[in-house]
Amino acid sequence: MGETRAETDANESEHALVHGPRGPERADAPAGDRHSLRRWLAFAARRERRLEQTGSDPDPRFTFANERTFLAWNRTALALIAAGLAVAQFLKFNLHGLRLIIAVPLILLGAALALASYLHWEDSERAMRLRQPLRYSSMPRVLTGGIAVIAAVGGILAIVDRLVH
Amino acid sequence: MNRLAPGPPGEAGTPPPATDDPGLARERTALAWTRSALNMAASGTLIARAAFVGHLAAFGVVTAIAMATLAALTWRHGRVIYHERRETGMPAHLQTAAFGLLMAATVLIAAIAIVVTVAI
Repeated sequence: MGETRAETDANESEHALVHGPRGPERADAPAGDRHSLRRWLAFAARRERRLEQTGSDPDPRFTFANERTFLAWNRTALALIAAGLAVAQFLKFNLHGLRLIIAVPLILLGAALALASYLHWEDSERAMRLRQPLRYSSMPRVLTGGIAVIAAVGGILAIVDRLVH
Repeated sequence: MNRLAPGPPGEAGTPPPATDDPGLARERTALAWTRSALNMAASGTLIARAAFVGHLAAFGVVTAIAMATLAALTWRHGRVIYHERRETGMPAHLQTAAFGLLMAATVLIAAIAIVVTVAI
């Protein structure tokens, strides 16, 4: 039963690959764009099929919860990037370059979390399909440690900036 | 038992079957996508503003258009979950593509943000 479902899904995605995504919105895209889009979809479909052929479908509620967790981490990542930009724009240090020491790590932390949140989503999804226990993610630790270090460095920089001038 | 759930009626006292989803999980997930879209739009505004402050006007315009498109796609994905997954209750197809795209876009936004940060 589970196998039949996986096969049907595989056929469906194959259909999407051969005939392209449905809907008129793709029709006016440039040819090169459409080509790379199709290759991206092919790559994603292959990856997804590999995931779908692992184990059996979990309770949809768990899948939805996993999806929301991914989205929440992604928003956290975006918030860190936005915070870094805000630091760069609105922090007034006497030494102009100093704010980069706070802004750039914030943005890099955001990028790292964005990447890790996707990998964690896939890892959790695979574990749920195999009815295995979920693995703990290192993201909370990285986020806490990162913010603590950046805050400490920011405090020190503020004092140094005062003393220099 | 959740009396608000409009699921199929079952024998009194028996737990609902594992796949009995009254649709609240789906709705929460759709709302999460909507929040992500709003977040995307807000971040786009911030980056575009920073680009204009740093006299990177062309960069700002491109970023604003790209972020608006991304926010629209994210918003639309939330609507798709809300309306089209109603029948099956199962997650939509090509999730890996949607998530991967969102992840790649966020990393790209970070790269743009670093360029803008160094420029201003």
